[in-house]
Amino acid sequence: MMGFDLAALLGALGLGSAFAVVGVALAGWMCWRIADKAGLPGWTGLGAILLTLTGIGSLVSLILLWVFAFMRWPRDGAPAVVGFVPASAGRAPVMPSPATLPPPPKALADRRGWKLTGNGVALAFDDAQAAYLLTGEGSGAPGELVVADPSVGRPHARLLTAGGRLGLEDLGTPGGTFIDGARLLPAHGPRDITAVRALKLGNVVLALSRS
Amino acid sequence: MWTVIAWLVGLGTFFLMVLLVVHVLFALLLIVPTWRICERAGYSGLLSLFHLLPVLGSFIVMAVLAFGDWPNGEGRSAPGTQPVRP
Repeated sequence: MMGFDLAALLGALGLGSAFAVVGVALAGWMCWRIADKAGLPGWTGLGAILLTLTGIGSLVSLILLWVFAFMRWPRDGAPAVVGFVPASAGRAPVMPSPATLPPPPKALADRRGWKLTGNGVALAFDDAQAAYLLTGEGSGAPGELVVADPSVGRPHARLLTAGGRLGLEDLGTPGGTFIDGARLLPAHGPRDITAVRALKLGNVVLALSRS
Repeated sequence: MWTVIAWLVGLGTFFLMVLLVVHVLFALLLIVPTWRICERAGYSGLLSLFHLLPVLGSFIVMAVLAFGDWPNGEGRSAPGTQPVRP
């Protein structure tokens, strides 16, 4: 009944209106996803599109587009970890401006080791070493943690330990590194993953826990 | 007769030019912010030039941004990357 009424309404309004309805719905859905990817609530994107249905809405949506383009996105808000220094300082990590710097991370009392498990991999390590290299193929060097999978780079990422905390730095391999589902890029520098539950190296998902 | 046709062609060309200029000016209002959004997402800013394509252009840009994996990372969990808990 509802579908029939909708069809009748669209028929009465004309084919152009039907296309407009589909267009607005499609645009709303896509803007929901775009806002979501930027770290904003998805409904803000949908709302911006729905505003175009009102009288002066198009102008408001245009202003919102400009605001969205130049505002600070929550995606960019996660600051780099202060205190973690990459073992090889070939590239300086991107640091936030002083105004956005968080307080320095404090050392944790919990000094248990760490475990990475999943996909047939079981790796254990502790803070006896300041840095570990996650790689798809071991060369026998100390501090290597081998995740034997074609999608894992050689090397892939660097784990950093300091004060009972754990950091992770992506080394720019095509397979990508993900922290609880969010992509970590080399430009992000080392990130604190002490409270993180899962990492993804290429196609390999590893659960992170204390040993 | 020919004078009338010449006038009509001239007027038509004039209105087309006005339409084109207005379209480009309006597209610029969309291209500038979209260029920045594309670059922040990790795509080339040139992608925003799709706004010059009437009607469909905006949808193409939105579709790329909405359904593509942002090279510079996303603020949410990307589909298919949810962790598997042991």
